[in-house]
Amino acid sequence: MIRVVLLFLLLLFGSVAKAQTSTDSIQRLDEVVLSDVKLKRYSHGYKVTVLNDSLLQKNRSSFTDILRFNSNLYFKENGYGMVSSPSFRGTNASQTAVIWNGISINSQLTGQTDFNTINTTNFKSVIIRSGGGSVQYGSGAIGGSIHLNNTLSFSPHFDNTMTLSYGSYDTKNVSYLSSYAKDKWSFNIGLNYIDSDNDYKYLSTDKRNTNGAYYNGSINANVGYVISPKDVIKLYHQTFLGEREFSGTISSPSLAKYEDQNFRTMLEWSRQGDKAFSKLKVAHLQEHFKYFGNKNTENYTFGKINTYLINYTADINLLTHLKLKPIVSYNYYEGNGSSFGDPNRKEFSTTALLQYTPNEKWQYGLNLRQDVTSGFESPLLFSFDVAYEVSDYYTLKLNGSKNYRVPTFNDLYWQPGGNLDLVPETSYQIDLGQDISYKSAKLNLNAFYIKTTDLIQWKPNTSGFWSPENIAETQNYGAEASLDVSKKIKEHHLSLQFNYAFTVSEDLESNKQLIYVPYHKANINLAYAYKRMSLFFQHLYNGEVYTTTENLSGRFYSVEAYQVSNFGMTYQLFKTKSQHIDVSLNVNNLFNTVYENVAFRPMPDRNFNFQIQYKF
Amino acid sequence: MLSIFAMSLLIVSCSSDDDGISSEPLGAYEDGIIVSGEGGPSSISFISEDLMTSENQIYFNANNEATGVYLQSIGFNDDKAYIVVDAGTITVVNRYTFEKLTTISTGLTTPRFIDFDDNIAYVSDWGDPFDATDDYIAVVNLTTNTVFSTILVSEGPEQVLEKSGKIYVSHKGGYGVNNVISVINISDNSVETITVNDVPDEMFIDESGDLLVLSSGANQSWLTPPVETEAAITRIDLSDNSIISNLEFPAGQHPGLMAYDDGAAYYVLNNKVYSLADNATSLPTTSLFDISTSYTYGLAVDDNQLFVTDASFTGNSTLLVYDISSRTETNSFSVGVGASKIYFN
Repeated sequence: MIRVVLLFLLLLFGSVAKAQTSTDSIQRLDEVVLSDVKLKRYSHGYKVTVLNDSLLQKNRSSFTDILRFNSNLYFKENGYGMVSSPSFRGTNASQTAVIWNGISINSQLTGQTDFNTINTTNFKSVIIRSGGGSVQYGSGAIGGSIHLNNTLSFSPHFDNTMTLSYGSYDTKNVSYLSSYAKDKWSFNIGLNYIDSDNDYKYLSTDKRNTNGAYYNGSINANVGYVISPKDVIKLYHQTFLGEREFSGTISSPSLAKYEDQNFRTMLEWSRQGDKAFSKLKVAHLQEHFKYFGNKNTENYTFGKINTYLINYTADINLLTHLKLKPIVSYNYYEGNGSSFGDPNRKEFSTTALLQYTPNEKWQYGLNLRQDVTSGFESPLLFSFDVAYEVSDYYTLKLNGSKNYRVPTFNDLYWQPGGNLDLVPETSYQIDLGQDISYKSAKLNLNAFYIKTTDLIQWKPNTSGFWSPENIAETQNYGAEASLDVSKKIKEHHLSLQFNYAFTVSEDLESNKQLIYVPYHKANINLAYAYKRMSLFFQHLYNGEVYTTTENLSGRFYSVEAYQVSNFGMTYQLFKTKSQHIDVSLNVNNLFNTVYENVAFRPMPDRNFNFQIQYKF
Repeated sequence: MLSIFAMSLLIVSCSSDDDGISSEPLGAYEDGIIVSGEGGPSSISFISEDLMTSENQIYFNANNEATGVYLQSIGFNDDKAYIVVDAGTITVVNRYTFEKLTTISTGLTTPRFIDFDDNIAYVSDWGDPFDATDDYIAVVNLTTNTVFSTILVSEGPEQVLEKSGKIYVSHKGGYGVNNVISVINISDNSVETITVNDVPDEMFIDESGDLLVLSSGANQSWLTPPVETEAAITRIDLSDNSIISNLEFPAGQHPGLMAYDDGAAYYVLNNKVYSLADNATSLPTTSLFDISTSYTYGLAVDDNQLFVTDASFTGNSTLLVYDISSRTETNSFSVGVGASKIYFN
């Protein structure tokens, strides 16, 4: 604990000294129109990072890669394109919530989102909210949350983007985006299809990734209609259909195959009343997987969950400086699958968010939530946050919260092993942040402490099969730094973006670092644009991770630290007022580095991707 | 655990070959205990015969690659060891150096155990684990290291034991439950079956040449209604496949591990070690001694010493050694992740 306090103090003083030297400030506000009000109005004391659509468009590779190279998140990917699970501040994948237009889409089966089943093509922005968010976003928002937001603009426009790309391993990608608005209607659609043999060479061996091919298609379509000056109705939809072979390890090739089918539909009615802005959401989510142990047979296991959700919320200005947002929500989950029968779960939750802004300098937030869930008791959750603008270029942020993660359907009902006596994991945390901006430079420094109890872990029981129990206690602490600098000299645009995270995540019984949590992770992005030409270079350092609870180190038991670089360039071939054509070339793993992200699962060698994009 | 008896025979024959000849050591792992860990990562550990030294991941150290997902069992024949991996491969190594010689992968799907008759190996294979009707015994030519024939058997073939021109296969049942021992006549690959209690697994040939089988009984508490059947130790007369004795355990007891040495079988139940002499007519009522494992996953007995693995699947496991006469723990070693099988090389 002393170490944690010291860390806080160190960061605090270090940055105060730095801030005093500032003479000028340009607040670079990220232009985002949020479909999720909670993020904008009720997260002042949190670190919120925005990846906007230009970045999402530029890095057309996987969502995993976008976040790996542009944020503090660490990913554990079972070979390129395979199951990819995030770790946020040393927590595990089921402690990271993924939020689609304000609602959680984490799997009810595994508790996590596989980041290789998310296509970012049509998202206006991806927002990373660091720190506990269970009050706002429910189960799983312990380390932080990733927000995928669609926006519907009603200002008249008609924009289209067509993209074709081809790359190594016979990777073909085609996508089409269209956005249209006129009068009372707004509409946008994103279609994306990717297909890859993904049979990359395992460097320094004579083997290839023989069972890693994948293809997937996604549709992302949203419609908005202005019913009256006070009422707007919006329909959001997302479909993801994918099939992947599951590659094996370097010593054991696999024959497995996995199919994903995810459907998400949400109808939202918002009304600007005299006293309150209210929203009613009705949603249906379906996740469905099929696992083929041997792709050459028709035998598979499956799991399927339907989620039905109704959610009502209002934004009320109680007083000039005091805002209240109550949320009531009812979720019904029904599942069926080869290994867990057909269980269901009902969940009712009430939430109150309070935001107090006494003056321009101070922001206070206080939030409470109580869930009533069938099957087990959920704790009362709270969070508070404070933001204090010390000066024009220095802001202090503090937040603390109690968060939870409910047992998944697998944890409860898996046959054999499912344990109906499980209770939710609970977690307390505190996070101190500092935002410093000077001219076109922005520095964020954060220090955090998280303590989690009743962690659910699967282990073999006395009857000879695996069963989950609430056994472990962990603590995570660490620090994050992000630096963002951009500079324009005549026609030369330069930008630099740097992230570093130091993370200790340890089991409180053994005081050992949890497996697959690197102590150090850093990335840097450099971009340069001149007239029609733009270039980028990105570099990632991923520290050593342990694969055993004893923290054995060395070639067999730990995954060595690695560094990978990507390089890309884009040239604008053709440009008129309303149309332009860009061609770009990306080189991934520029230096042909041999590396593994998960033990015995090599990652790709140097590979190329050529893209042509037409906007009209 | 493959036939420890068969291996001890081999050891006897090997050492008798060496008698009187002061030959060079055949390799670092010539004499001692081999412990395989399922993983992941799977690995093989070595402990010297005098219990003085040990080395982990010997296959990785010799070949700079891991053994694969998941290491099921190892078979020993002549100067070679055969590492059987669930994912569908058998890696052939020099048993004294663990240097890789070749890999057999064609014709294998979900291999489990291996035993030998001269230059031919018999490998139990679940086929597609979700298909109850495609299970087989793969027949491997050890000169060419290829599967040249398959023999269809009933669901979930597990351990394989060669004895006098016949191959005995215990059918644990794979993902389901089975209750037979297949008897394959090597001369014509014809298959007979012997019915025993549910979930037969461990098999040994006792001092009288009878087959000893441990069936752990079905214990499917998650089914509605739950299914539970009795475990048993069955002694079978191999001259006519008749059952000599069937000693059933009381309801609720499901031993999964058995070892055999020098006229007695040993099994573990709720952290207690029991011994059953060949001539016993009922199960023992008192145990020999207690063991301190939290998850007993491997068992072997040799030369009055009992070896058990206390398996961890998130880190290294522990091999514990007990002296049977003094009933005390004498040694412990760190071995690989998910340590499950103990062999004497």
